[in-house]
Amino acid sequence: MADLSQRQQQLAVEAKSEKAKLRQSKRQLAMVFDLNKCLGCQTCVVACKTLWTRDEGMEYMWWATVNTQPGKGTPKDWEQMGGGFHEEEPNAGKLPTRRDFGEAWDFNYDEVFFGGKGNSVHLQPSGDPDWGPNWDEDQGGGQYPNSFYFYLPRICNHCTHPACLEACPRNAIYKREEDGIVLISEERCKGYRFCMEACPYKKIYFNHTRMLSQKCIFCYPRIEKGVAPACARQCPGRLRFVGFLDDEQGPIYKLVKEWKVALPLHSEYGTQPNVYYVPPISPPRFDADGNIDESKPRIPTEYLKFLFGPDVEQALATLKAEMAKTKAGGKSEILDTLIVYEWKNLFGPFTQDPAALEPRKV
Amino acid sequence: MQCKKVSASRDRLLDPAASEWANIPGESLKMDATPLANQPSEYIKASRDEKQIGKVKTLLVQSAHNDSDIFFRLTWEDASKNVEVTDNNLFPDGCGILMPLNGGDPPIDEMGTNDAPVNAWFWRADFEDKARNTVARGLGTTQFSKQCPIQTKSLWGQGAWAIVFARALAVPDLKDETTQLVPGAAVKVGFAVWEGSNGERAGVKSFSKEWRELTLEA
Repeated sequence: MADLSQRQQQLAVEAKSEKAKLRQSKRQLAMVFDLNKCLGCQTCVVACKTLWTRDEGMEYMWWATVNTQPGKGTPKDWEQMGGGFHEEEPNAGKLPTRRDFGEAWDFNYDEVFFGGKGNSVHLQPSGDPDWGPNWDEDQGGGQYPNSFYFYLPRICNHCTHPACLEACPRNAIYKREEDGIVLISEERCKGYRFCMEACPYKKIYFNHTRMLSQKCIFCYPRIEKGVAPACARQCPGRLRFVGFLDDEQGPIYKLVKEWKVALPLHSEYGTQPNVYYVPPISPPRFDADGNIDESKPRIPTEYLKFLFGPDVEQALATLKAEMAKTKAGGKSEILDTLIVYEWKNLFGPFTQDPAALEPRKV
Repeated sequence: MQCKKVSASRDRLLDPAASEWANIPGESLKMDATPLANQPSEYIKASRDEKQIGKVKTLLVQSAHNDSDIFFRLTWEDASKNVEVTDNNLFPDGCGILMPLNGGDPPIDEMGTNDAPVNAWFWRADFEDKARNTVARGLGTTQFSKQCPIQTKSLWGQGAWAIVFARALAVPDLKDETTQLVPGAAVKVGFAVWEGSNGERAGVKSFSKEWRELTLEA
């Protein structure tokens, strides 16, 4: 038995060293989402859907989502499903069901558009759906007159320490060496779904037609041609910054590392996510007499701390100080960066026009 | 373990309910949980309890050949028939037969090694009796062959699965991918069962933890 245990130790060392290789990358692509600018239009969501998840088996997939906060999110109650790491040890997670994500509904397009019933029948999903992506869109939080909400766009976080990569018993998940994009090899994946269990952000889907797991690929074929990911390029709100985290001249480095106004979502999950959020500033609350109480923000700071950690207070303080500065006639590099006067300033080296490229031969 | 020589046809023996199987001796194998320490994923190690792995504890194995094909009939009790993967949290029942690809003594609990590969014959309830031939060179390395020389037929009834695997004894075209078998000779065999209702997949399964010597009657 002593030999066996030695052998098992050796196997564990080999497996760990293989995983270390798979998560190595020289650079890291990242995104920053400015939540003060997201208007919940879902254009990013549809841009992604149109480009990547239209095939059979992908109907219920939304690699990019936008949810009203506070809310149950997509998939439903994903923040209660575990996964990630706890004190660097993998933490057990739950498999989200198709219902948790929201099934793709079938609509009566034929009847309404082509069946001559355009004036008598409403366009509606068949069956009686009771959940879907952003189902709780119009709920938000708080009580009138202090009700509040904001939008939270999410994609795969292309984590530096991905729980999915760690979980896969087939080493099918890896980070690209050149840019840190996390990909699932469809050659190696056998659809065991440990990655889905382990991902604390629940951003991996199971394709029931091809029997394998799929997720956001950071539009790597576009990245390779100098084109920003579709969700970012098509965002009308100019709130999705794309670039290398180590590009000290780029907005991402400045927002995240220098000014510290962009923070990761649920960093306590321990995966070191590479999507960062500029937290939402909110107007003050009304007190019981209906007077404005400048000391309390409408969006409870505790809630923002739950999402973005304790550093959110400093980030909000910085943003408010910068706003005060401009209000007094001064200039603010931070606000100028966040305003994005030129759309090209969002995307670093990824400003190539996709329409100007040769279409890929299929 | 004996692989009995019989004169029945391939069609007959491929049927798990065929009367011929009543006269073919079987061996009841004790099945064990795969060792958690061998799992090639820190997540699996941290999130599973070895005591909960390997719900199927006993497997009855029968084997026969008719000089051209070899047959295995695997039966086990299973009150829950898990076939279709209709949701993300559902897993199918499955079973497999393992042999060294090129003889020798590869580690059965490591799915062989790079130098000593193993050949697995794999059936899964959702494959609709389309078996898979796989080669493995260590934990987490199985790859399905493009061509599959194996056929399976399955039957579930009265709380039990019965699966028959059939393959030509010799498959000269796929020497690098499937173990060649010869009447009169012996081959090492191992077995595994995945219980879908227990979330068993990949290396999380019950298995016969030592090789058995299967002698093909001359």
